[in-house]
Amino acid sequence: MWKTYAYIISFLIVLVNTQIRAQEQPDDSVIIPLKIKAGIEVSGPVIYFTDKNILSTEGYISVDLNEKLAVYAGVGYSDFKYSQYNYSYLNKGIFIKAGVDFNMLKPEISMGKYWAGIGLRYGLSTFIAETPSFWYKNYWGTVLSSLGTSTRLGHFLEVSPGVRVELFRNFSIGWSVSLRRLIYSGTSKDLRPIYFPGYGSGAKPFSTGISYFMVFNIPFKKIKVEIKKEIPEETEETTETEDQISIQGK
Amino acid sequence: MRSFKTYIPGAIFAWTLAVMVSCTPGSCFEKTDALLTASFYRNDAGKLQPPDSLTLFGLKMDTNKIYNKTLNVQPALLPLNADTTSCSFVIRINGITDTMTFWYSSYPHLVSMECGYTFYHQLVDKPSVTDNIIDSVNIGNRNITTLDVENIRIYY
Repeated sequence: MWKTYAYIISFLIVLVNTQIRAQEQPDDSVIIPLKIKAGIEVSGPVIYFTDKNILSTEGYISVDLNEKLAVYAGVGYSDFKYSQYNYSYLNKGIFIKAGVDFNMLKPEISMGKYWAGIGLRYGLSTFIAETPSFWYKNYWGTVLSSLGTSTRLGHFLEVSPGVRVELFRNFSIGWSVSLRRLIYSGTSKDLRPIYFPGYGSGAKPFSTGISYFMVFNIPFKKIKVEIKKEIPEETEETTETEDQISIQGK
Repeated sequence: MRSFKTYIPGAIFAWTLAVMVSCTPGSCFEKTDALLTASFYRNDAGKLQPPDSLTLFGLKMDTNKIYNKTLNVQPALLPLNADTTSCSFVIRINGITDTMTFWYSSYPHLVSMECGYTFYHQLVDKPSVTDNIIDSVNIGNRNITTLDVENIRIYY
């Protein structure tokens, strides 16, 4: 409910601004600035202030290839600690992501300032995990054991729809929803990682998340993009009606 | 753009609340005990048939019975000791007592973040059993996990 509220606000911003822009641009083409974008994820550090057991930071650079397509490269770091009544767990690692971003807005709407689209990424994580202690209790009594430190490498795929809005000149904010599929957790199926950097719970084959970004834009080139004008269907209908009238008249 | 700025505090509040709700740890609803599943068969007919009465407990654990003159047990679920490589059970079928010993290896298995770890086992040898009422014990599936799979057949 609350997440939806945040999404709706972002969409409204894009819609309101783009409607105004679209009305202001009667030309057949628009000038779109291509940009290098450097973004940082802000929710991870904010969460760390409230919960010192999880630190997750992420940043990315994307470079516009044209008005629709950008290449993406991201890197992140996470430090995860967890404990409950029957075990404790530590995980520290880095991840990299590479992929593309597709802007689904029309050029005359996006104007190089607004982005609403989808990102497709491949993620690779390397991490050190340890279970310093765990307890198992059954009929025969309690077994206290531990799992030593091990270094692992795993990978995943991510689909990431989202929104970016230029708030000030060359500064944008936005959010992305992440839908991830774990390809390989780097461990045997018995000891899947409780946390997987860049992915989430390594015990599950799918994970979801939401990220909030601040993005700094560096324009490096301007391109002229022709606007595809829609042919109004009403004209054909009118012509047909006129033809029918003239045939009937004859 | 002016109108957008008025939404920022609301959006931040909504997001913070969403994060707090979504990060609340869940409860453990999964099965966490890997138990050896033993089915009872009549030796003469070879048919699946529960004993009329079953008493079962670990050797030297007679004060803590797993089954105590329980009727129509099918299958019986036996917990193995993850701290050792073998364990013995006293089994009393229809009032006649036998002793069974299992040899196995144990290894940790993550059930889930909410439940933590358990131990899975693998039978490494055929169980030994006295033959007062039990005729033989056959291994069906060596892997003892939280799945409901028949591991051994007890013919009596």
